[in-house]
Amino acid sequence: MLPRLLVPLAVLLSLRLGSDAQGTELPSPPSVWFEAEFFHHILHWTPILNQSQSTYYEVELLGYGIEPWKAIPTCNQTLAQSCDLTAVTLDLYHNNGYRAKVRAVDGSRHSNWTTSSTRFSVDEVTLTVGSVKLEIRDDSIFGTIEPPRPPMAPAGDMYERIFKNFREYEITVHKMPENYTFTNKKVKHENFSLPTSGELGEFCVRVKPSISSRTNKGVWSKEVCITITRQYFTPTILSTCITFAFLLCVVLACLILQLYMRRRGKLPSVLVFKKPSPLSLISQLACPEVPDTIHHLDEETVLKVSPELRNSELHGSTDSGFGSAKPSLQAEEPQFFLPEPHPQAGGTTGQGEPPALENSCSGGSSNSTDSGICLQEPSLIPGTRPGWELQVGSNGQDQDDSGIGLVQNSAGQPGGPQGSSALGEVSPLRPELPGEEDPAAVAFQGYLKQTRCTEEKTAKAGCLEVESSSTDGLSPKFQMCLDTEAGWPPPDLAKGYMRQDPPGMTVLPSGAPAGQWNQPAEEWPVLGLTSCSDLGIPDWSFAPDLAPLDCVAAPHSLLSSFDTDLVALPLISSLHTDE
Amino acid sequence: MKMQVVSLCLLGTMLFLCSVHARSLKRCPPSMDMNPVKESFQEIKGAIQANDTFKNVTILSNLHSIKPVDVCCMTRELLEFYMKRVFKHREELSLQISREVSSISNSFLPLQRTVQPCKKQSLCPCSEEAISATRTIINNYDQLEVRSAAIKSLGELDVFIAWIDKNYHSETSTA
Repeated sequence: MLPRLLVPLAVLLSLRLGSDAQGTELPSPPSVWFEAEFFHHILHWTPILNQSQSTYYEVELLGYGIEPWKAIPTCNQTLAQSCDLTAVTLDLYHNNGYRAKVRAVDGSRHSNWTTSSTRFSVDEVTLTVGSVKLEIRDDSIFGTIEPPRPPMAPAGDMYERIFKNFREYEITVHKMPENYTFTNKKVKHENFSLPTSGELGEFCVRVKPSISSRTNKGVWSKEVCITITRQYFTPTILSTCITFAFLLCVVLACLILQLYMRRRGKLPSVLVFKKPSPLSLISQLACPEVPDTIHHLDEETVLKVSPELRNSELHGSTDSGFGSAKPSLQAEEPQFFLPEPHPQAGGTTGQGEPPALENSCSGGSSNSTDSGICLQEPSLIPGTRPGWELQVGSNGQDQDDSGIGLVQNSAGQPGGPQGSSALGEVSPLRPELPGEEDPAAVAFQGYLKQTRCTEEKTAKAGCLEVESSSTDGLSPKFQMCLDTEAGWPPPDLAKGYMRQDPPGMTVLPSGAPAGQWNQPAEEWPVLGLTSCSDLGIPDWSFAPDLAPLDCVAAPHSLLSSFDTDLVALPLISSLHTDE
Repeated sequence: MKMQVVSLCLLGTMLFLCSVHARSLKRCPPSMDMNPVKESFQEIKGAIQANDTFKNVTILSNLHSIKPVDVCCMTRELLEFYMKRVFKHREELSLQISREVSSISNSFLPLQRTVQPCKKQSLCPCSEEAISATRTIINNYDQLEVRSAAIKSLGELDVFIAWIDKNYHSETSTA
């Protein structure tokens, strides 16, 4: 009985086993494990042996302590060996973990479940770094570590919030190309600084995160390199250079400004008075002269007269005392410019009589106006040629506006008859100018330029009386008085311009004491009178005979000429025409 | 005037210190050094948890619902549970696991010594909720077979460690 039942039982059992074998043919995956990073949870499993093309794996997930198992259909993919379970394990960082199981399925066959060996918890999350940024600051590498920012992470689950404290980072720096470890340190913050100690080259940095209170493993980040080169233009150097350049510009600007100011302060050339050169003196000598008359003079007379002549300032007067040229009489072309005829004077006074003396000042090239004050002292050296001569109405080119031009007498001796006549001619000049005078002569403007010492002298000779009466004090007066006596010292004539007196006043008999001549000079200190005495003997070094001739004109002849002014006029005019 | 200012400063400092002390007294024990436990558990975690057959059951299931007031009581109770009920079954496990479990047991002793003064000072009261939570844990443990329960309890040490870190080391706000 029993043996009959055994056979069907065996058959049934074999069939059963066969069916079971068919349902469980497939081997179960050998292992199942999680590989997780921060919000990146991947379930892995090893494939079964002898899997076919249609073999796929089923995954189920269980929250530890929470039933039941939850199937994950997204993982049912053919021949897959892993599955991303991040979306279904978002509470990993807040619960006790998860359990996962996997089984192989191929058609109607499936394998046994294989459960993950360990409970998948936050302890199994591998720590990573999002990114590392490097920059160079003051000879050191400054790094910033950025935590991972996975897209699947919920809004509030940030790396810094979940792992609030005890975050640490291990930093390794390799120097290229030698590839030796430059430094290895651990920092507790996301910012770090690595001093390079002035080394140059390429530095590659790697970072590995960790949590000191946890056993979580960390992985090294990608290598980030930075190159340090020598900086020639650091901000410090640049700022220093800019500062120096700015200071240099300021200094240059000050120098330029200073130079410009100095240039502006330069004296205009018009006001620059030329010193008389010997050449000019020689040219003066070549001026047209009237026939010389030799006047013999006493030596004493010469000496006395000389200072007066010097002070006569026949050429130019600088009442203010500036720029009076004092050439020797010989050097000058003695031309006394008579001032413009005063209405009372009858127009005799220096209408453009080109003063010979003035040439020395103007160099014979001047149509100088009254502003050009030029003092040219006549050479009073007696006996030398040329003497001072009166040029009445001549030399318009040289004439001053109001100067009385006295032509240097070639005779050189004012004492001689000719000289006296010449000088005598001078006398009436002032009160009456010949009609033949140069039409180009400057009209009398009320002031006579005292240019010639001889002029002064001749005036003084006859003006002893005039002076006494005409000493108004300040107003410069030209005195055409002829000197009568040789013994009188040459008076100081006013420099510059003298107001023209009426003719009558100018003609005065001589005989006044010599001392009177000195009065005007004394009374007119402001005018800076240059008396004949200024024409010292040293000035007449080469024309010693001329000076006294003019200054010490024959008083008698001059006086006689004054008395016979009418006679003198034609003489002057004749002189003028002759010239 | 100066004396008044000084006295006020002293008073403020004393108040501040008292508040800090009170705050520290609030939490007893003030800290728990779980690092040795962590290191030992890491060694056996895979093996222990792999042998956990009842994966849908958890023993320490209600730790998330424990209030901060009951943390001290629960800490004291759990330490006692592991020392008396779980660690004594380590001989049934493999040698490696047994060795590490012994190390963990040795690390629990100083933790108990840390909590003991709190109980003596009546700074570690146990509320009804704490007592109820402790009773649930023991029931869960008793429902399983002894060996499986022991293995499961050892496997859930990481849950216990995480709970300790959360309550005692607020800086490490872990799961």
